[in-house]
Amino acid sequence: MKSFKDIQKEFTPKEIVESFIFSGTKSLKGKDRENFMNEFREHRKKVSDSYSGTTELISQLLQLKFQIEDYIKSTQFNKDFYFGYFLNEYISILNRKKKDFAQEIEVDPAELSQIINKHRKPTEKIIFRLEIHSNRNFPALLWFKVLEKERAYELMYNRQIIEEEKEHVKRKLEFSF
Amino acid sequence: MEVEDSKTGGRYEIMIERLTLNDFKIVKKDKIRFDSFNWSKYREQEVYKLRLTECQEILGLMCLNEFPPETGINALEIELLEVSVENRGNNKRLQGIAGCLIAFACREAFNRGYKGWVFLIPKSELIEHYSKAYGFVHIPLRAVARPEGFMELETGRSVQLLKKYGLI
Repeated sequence: MKSFKDIQKEFTPKEIVESFIFSGTKSLKGKDRENFMNEFREHRKKVSDSYSGTTELISQLLQLKFQIEDYIKSTQFNKDFYFGYFLNEYISILNRKKKDFAQEIEVDPAELSQIINKHRKPTEKIIFRLEIHSNRNFPALLWFKVLEKERAYELMYNRQIIEEEKEHVKRKLEFSF
Repeated sequence: MEVEDSKTGGRYEIMIERLTLNDFKIVKKDKIRFDSFNWSKYREQEVYKLRLTECQEILGLMCLNEFPPETGINALEIELLEVSVENRGNNKRLQGIAGCLIAFACREAFNRGYKGWVFLIPKSELIEHYSKAYGFVHIPLRAVARPEGFMELETGRSVQLLKKYGLI
């Protein structure tokens, strides 16, 4: 193990910050740690109180975006995380009534409500309008990927869809790989 | 996110993942490449590794310390960070490893509802350099016996770092 002084002998300060961060609050003990926490708490509150509505909004929207990205990337499927759930979160963060939001993207409020409540799939035009509404902060591709994950799960676990379509297929391959 | 080859300028996609128990063993054995800190001491903590998407070799390590709402702090602290020996200094092979790890910490700080707040406790000699390299702001705290205070990335600066490293 090396001390900070050893590292200083090897590298310039610029090079050090490109490779290291040294132990932080864990190295503060007893009264020092307590004082640090109190001062930080006070500072944190002061800065937070000064935040504008836009800063709050950006923070919440980024939180939602990263949650969506992580969900898409994850190999797990969560039935509570469907397209309408994320759309509802987006509308809630913007503090819009669903009816007003439907107007903003020129969609029938009933259609929007059905999508949110999982009674209907979104059309492509809604997905494109979401990209435009969010000023490309939530691109269409992101929404399509949520939908794709939802569809993949349905196809894996809802065989009924396949069964229902069987009668429409008049001829099929006779062998299976 | 990507890191850059210092010689060719080629860019490589990276992945940041939680360190597994097996990884801790690998790092412990690999004392030549991670020679500055005893990472085994952080086995119970939240430690992440950075690697190229196409390769399993660990290129950087970072320990995060969470200060949840009940502490009144609502932030993530970068407790420790180390880049592998071949990627340090003048002759480093890849550039941007520490930056990618710090940007990942900012992303996590948004993800967990801390409005992007990330902080670290600097060595006093490094204060202006953390500021130049990543945009950290120095906050000297009167009550701390150590004169360094701390350095933070609050919401705005955290967003800037996310942009710089292509996370938004």
